[in-house]
Order: sequence, then C-alpha cells, then structure tokens
Amino acid sequence: MRPEVILHSFWYLMQAAGVTIALSLVGIALGFVLGALVCIARLSGNPIATRLGAFYVSFFRGVPLLVQLLFIYYFLAEYGLDVPALVAAIGGLGFSSGAYQAEILRGALNAVPSGQGEAAVALGFSRLAIWRRILLPQALRISAPPLINEFILLLKASSLVSVVGIAELTRVSMNIASMTYRPFEAYLGGGLIYLAINLCLAGFGAVAERRLATGRS
Amino acid sequence: MTIFDPRGLSRRAIMKTGLAGAAASGAYLAGFGRAFANTLADIKQRGELMAATEMQFPPFDISDNGTYKGVDRELVDAVGAILGVKVKYLDLPWTSILPGLEAKKFDICIAPVTITKERVKRYLFTVPIANATAALMKRANDSSISKPEDIAGKTVGGQKGTSQLEQLKAFAAKLPKPVDVKEYVDNNQSYADLAAGRVDASVNSLPNLAYAAAQRSDAFAVVLPPFGQPTYFSWVGRPDDKTLIDAINEAIIKTESDGTMAKIQKTWFGQPMDLPKTVPEPSI
Repeated sequence: MRPEVILHSFWYLMQAAGVTIALSLVGIALGFVLGALVCIARLSGNPIATRLGAFYVSFFRGVPLLVQLLFIYYFLAEYGLDVPALVAAIGGLGFSSGAYQAEILRGALNAVPSGQGEAAVALGFSRLAIWRRILLPQALRISAPPLINEFILLLKASSLVSVVGIAELTRVSMNIASMTYRPFEAYLGGGLIYLAINLCLAGFGAVAERRLATGRS
Repeated sequence: MTIFDPRGLSRRAIMKTGLAGAAASGAYLAGFGRAFANTLADIKQRGELMAATEMQFPPFDISDNGTYKGVDRELVDAVGAILGVKVKYLDLPWTSILPGLEAKKFDICIAPVTITKERVKRYLFTVPIANATAALMKRANDSSISKPEDIAGKTVGGQKGTSQLEQLKAFAAKLPKPVDVKEYVDNNQSYADLAAGRVDASVNSLPNLAYAAAQRSDAFAVVLPPFGQPTYFSWVGRPDDKTLIDAINEAIIKTESDGTMAKIQKTWFGQPMDLPKTVPEPSI
C-alpha cells in the first residue's frame, strides 16, 4: 500500500471526478425532461402516445447502457452519422435515465388518489391549479427518494462512458493503475471519490425530503 | 384520466427546454463534429492527424496525470512534424480501437499492433515501430522460474486477443507438462494477479515487460530470453488509406535516419534497437 500514488494523482482524479459529476448532472437533467415527456405521453390517454411512451421505456430500459453507447458512437458512424464522443455519452446517459425517470414519475402521479383530482374539479379548481396545488407537490414528495436513487445509479453508470473515450473517474483510475502498476491504490482512490460524491447526494436527498415533507401536518 | 392532459402543463416551458436542447446539441456538433476523409491530402488540408490509442500500455502509451506520454506519443509527434500537421490523440479502450478505425472515427491507430498473418489481411500496417517479441515476467522473489521452459505445470496470464498470448499457447503446447493459461481483458489485470500470486507469470512483449519490471523491481522480474519468434509492433490504418500509410512510413524511416527514433528508444527502453525498414512478412 502506497498512499502517495493517490496523492500524486490527486488533481488528475479530481478533474475526472468533475467530468463524472458534470456528465451525470447533464444526463439526469436530460433524463428528467425526457422522462417527464414520456410520462405525460403514457398518461395522456392518447393510444398512439401511450404506445410510443411504453416502447421508449421498454427499449431504453431493456438494452444495456454499454450497448447503447457503443451503438450511438460506433454503429451510427458506419451510416454516416458521426456522433461526437461527448454527445454520445450525454445522449446515452440521458435517454436511458429518461426511461427510468418516466416510470418513477408515472408511479408517483398514479400514487396520488384519483379522488383528490375529482374532488378538486368538483370544487371548481382550474386544471393548472390542480397540477400546481394538488398533483405535483404530492408527486414530487413521493418521487424524491427514487429520483435520488436514480441519480446515484446514473452517477455510477457514468463509468461506462469510458468506452467512447471520455476520461471520467473510472477510466482515469485505470490510467493511473496502468501507469504506476499499483492497481489497488488507484482503484481505492477512485472508489473513495465515488463514495464521497454519493454520500453528498444522499445527504442532499435527505434534506430535500425533509423540505418537501413540511407540507404535511 | 383527463386530469393528466398534457395541455395542463406549460407548453411554453416544454418548448423552451426543447429548443435549448436542440441549440446545445447544434453547438456540440459544430464544435466537435469533424469531416473525415481517406486521403493524406485531406489530413493536410485539415492540418490535423487524428490518432487513437489506449493510454494504458506503458512504455508506449501512458496517461501521466492527464498528459499523454510514451514511445508512441513522441514518435507520432515527430511524424506529424515531418508531415506538417498537428496530431490529436484519442484515448479509447483497446477493444474499441479497431472498430473505431473502421468506423472512421480517427485516421490511424497508434496503439502498437503486432504484425500477424491474420491481421495483415484486414489492416494496413506501417513499418515497425518497436520489437514485439513475446516474453514472460515472474514475481521477483520466485526462484522456481529461471528460463521460459520453467512455466511447465504453472499458471500464466495474458491479455485476450493479443498475439503474445497466442504465442504463449503455442509455446506451452510443446512443454512436457500443461500450462494453465488465464486470459485477461488487459495486461494490467494479469500483472495485478501476478503480484497477488494468482498466476505464476505474465506474458507480453519484451519492451512492455522490461518497463514494468523496471518500474516495480520490488515485485516483478523479466524471464530471459524471450521465448517467442521475433515479431514487431506497427501502427495500423484502414486498407484503403495507402497514401497516408506510405507517407507515415516515409516519416518513420526519416526518424530512424535522423536519430529521433534512437533518442526515443533510449528514453523508454534504455537502449536503441534496430528495426526493419519495410513491413516484414508476419512470422506468426
């Protein structure tokens, strides 16, 4: 055990951690937008939109992210669509996370008893007010823990984007292992940084849940 | 379920997000998109040679705190200077490099590739850039191995899909006792298992092993002489890029005559070594 291996490459690891965090943030944001759209499509009552939404979810949840990334980056290039590595990475993470987030949001909205919406209509609430005051606040509270969970999973899944040549935390740990011939120290360094990031995320999630819970009596 | 009608959501907010996303991806495409072409003329016009390798193959390719170093880096920089173009480097996992070359993601693979009969059918090889003869490395404190034949009855690890591993299997087949060959995704895992005692020796090319043993002389030692037939590392291009490979060959030979190659070899291998000036007939 030589801790100086980690110290020597500390800034290299930190830069890579920055790439991992940035990719995950953009991926989760893109996934949220896509997930919301897909969720709306699935709950719209329009049969075509419902089917398309269901197809999106089963495709992007059913194909491994690694395969999706290889497909976007290498296979599309064979057909003349040269997707840059960064776009392939963000796209892969976002599309795949979108499928999971769509299901989280759908579950959360379905968990709000439909009687509440009906009662609000009867009381003369506008459609916008029903969403703003009744559905979204409750759905947000219900979906917060699984969304934080999804964020942590996505952050760890971002290690896969190294296959398209992006120097994120796992890739850089591998680089350090090969350069120093000290794999234990290199992966220990990378692993501790992942743990630190995810503990922060979990802490943030706990705070968010407490904030959202204040609406309850 | 009419209360879930999408019209209830702010359509403008959705549009805005969508437009911002489209604009952002447009910017990425403009910034990172590259038009690839087959010929040397296009590379010269672009002023940039796009080279890919896996920066986990010391002493050829090293990512030292994010800075690309090693034999390939110094040599391809010299080649770029001779051709009058800048060199850009792409770090990809080895398993993605040859598919990426075929998909025209970059112009040339500067990861060292051993010249074999199978591979010359599919890729265009440059003149050799280094010796690739297969050798073995053992734990420094293991006195039971002193020559390559001593691996009889022991366990040896190597990287899957490499010619060195194939040579090991051929060599092991002639030994009196069978050798248990363990295949790894990359050499670094084979080295890690050697240090951990799960294998008794690791197979790779002599220059790689000599460098590894020098870096960690406390753990590793090279078993001499190399057991394999003399083979060489080259860079590879797409089969239809003959003009590019010809120009690169000319540049590599120039680095040999002007002393650049010898200087690079002294830095990374400790001594200069002679290389063939033409692409040799594969011996394996």
